[in-house]
Amino acid sequence: MNKATAKNAGYAAEYIILVAAIIGVWIVMGSTGNLNPVIMPAPSKVGNTILSLIQSGELWESLGISVARVLQGYLLASVLGIILGILIGLSNHLERLTGLLIQLIKPIPPIAWIPLVILWFGIGEGGKIFLIFLGGFFTILINVIDGIRQADTKLIEVSTSMETPFFKHIFMMVIPSAAPNIFTGLRTGLSSCWMCVVAAELVSSTTGLGYLIMNARQFGKTDVVIVGMLTIGITGKIMDSLLKLAEKLVIRWN
Amino acid sequence: MTGENEKNYIVVERLHKYFSQRGSADMHILDDINFTVKKGEVICIVGSSGCGKSTLLRAICGLDPDHEGTVRIDGTEITGPDKHRGMVFQEHRLFPWLTVSQNVGYALNGISKEEKQEKVKQYIELVGLNGFERSYPRELSGGMAQRAGIARALVNNPSVLFLDEPFGALDAFTKISMQKELKRIQKRSHTTMLLVTHDIDEAVYLADQIIVMSERPGRIQNIVPVKLAEPRDRNSYEFVEIRKIIYNEFFN
Repeated sequence: MNKATAKNAGYAAEYIILVAAIIGVWIVMGSTGNLNPVIMPAPSKVGNTILSLIQSGELWESLGISVARVLQGYLLASVLGIILGILIGLSNHLERLTGLLIQLIKPIPPIAWIPLVILWFGIGEGGKIFLIFLGGFFTILINVIDGIRQADTKLIEVSTSMETPFFKHIFMMVIPSAAPNIFTGLRTGLSSCWMCVVAAELVSSTTGLGYLIMNARQFGKTDVVIVGMLTIGITGKIMDSLLKLAEKLVIRWN
Repeated sequence: MTGENEKNYIVVERLHKYFSQRGSADMHILDDINFTVKKGEVICIVGSSGCGKSTLLRAICGLDPDHEGTVRIDGTEITGPDKHRGMVFQEHRLFPWLTVSQNVGYALNGISKEEKQEKVKQYIELVGLNGFERSYPRELSGGMAQRAGIARALVNNPSVLFLDEPFGALDAFTKISMQKELKRIQKRSHTTMLLVTHDIDEAVYLADQIIVMSERPGRIQNIVPVKLAEPRDRNSYEFVEIRKIIYNEFFN
């Protein structure tokens, strides 16, 4: 093993050490009988539940349904957030007009919308997707607006002094310069959308990870609750890593 | 008429500029600036920092049209920037998300793809950046980035090139080689150039005329013609003589 790989192995070990330690403590406490299995099941029990949920296909099904919902809501939030963000970012007028409204609605957590959402959308898919959309939309919108606003005035001067046509100016100057902020918005937006999935599936759902967790809670199956939580955590991390990778591929110039 | 316009290609007349300040009288930045430039000439505006020389350049090229007096180029009054007047700044101001050839090509609009490629190639060659077409600005050294900036400013074949301390951020060696490059480019393109600098050597090396500015308010203190044989030798007697004249304008 040469020095560089040794160093990388060291970094990787350091990266997972805290998680491994927590699991270790959990295992020790479980095996010494210090855990009340109803409140906190032992890791072996959780491990068995993971396997049985995977074997029965229940976990994949719930995960697939939740991911599909999140992706729909997130896609909507991204498209609208980026388009409106660019328009608002470019226009002082629009920014003044929408500023207060955005700041008033943004702090309302999606969960507070549930009663209205049920009235508006009923208990179908629409309401869930709307809640997930709300979770990501404002984060994306605000980051895009900031990105457009923060464009380097010196570079803008270069572009305008060359009499660059409007759409070229927008697509080759303004949007690329806002790209790092747009990606920040897309990443935090995705994680808020994903966090909303449980809230969205509280709206009388019979499918998805949120339902899996809430249903297990009613029957006191804490092991299933934990499996559901872990699945949400791991999936969220994977989604974020994928977006990070996409960011690296798109923003090649940095 | 054409002859007249060639002789008085750029005419700056009674140019005044004020900056408004809160709570006190407006600051007089530029005071009665008058001069003319012949087509194809290189003019260097020399002054200490804060004398308003960059402000003057921005007024002439139309980036800051808010001033008294008139600027005419080829008989037309300047009221705003125009793609036929190129601009090079102290910072290279390349778009970091575009490659060198994309940056140079950014200035070109309304021509066919082939024509564009041809022009970009031509100007990248002119500034000696062959082989770096696909590099991003962060991969370039300061001198190379400034060359790309010059290519971008020249690609529209501008009638005038404005340069605002273009080599101010470069190290001494790169600076001298860039001055040589600019001279070579000017000899080939015959572009009229207005260059702002605080480097007396640079001005004597490049200029046909040196405009010496005093500060607060910015005034033209003297206009010194530079009639030196090419290529200019920085250590020749005549060169040093002119450098001494400019030097004495500031420090005596």
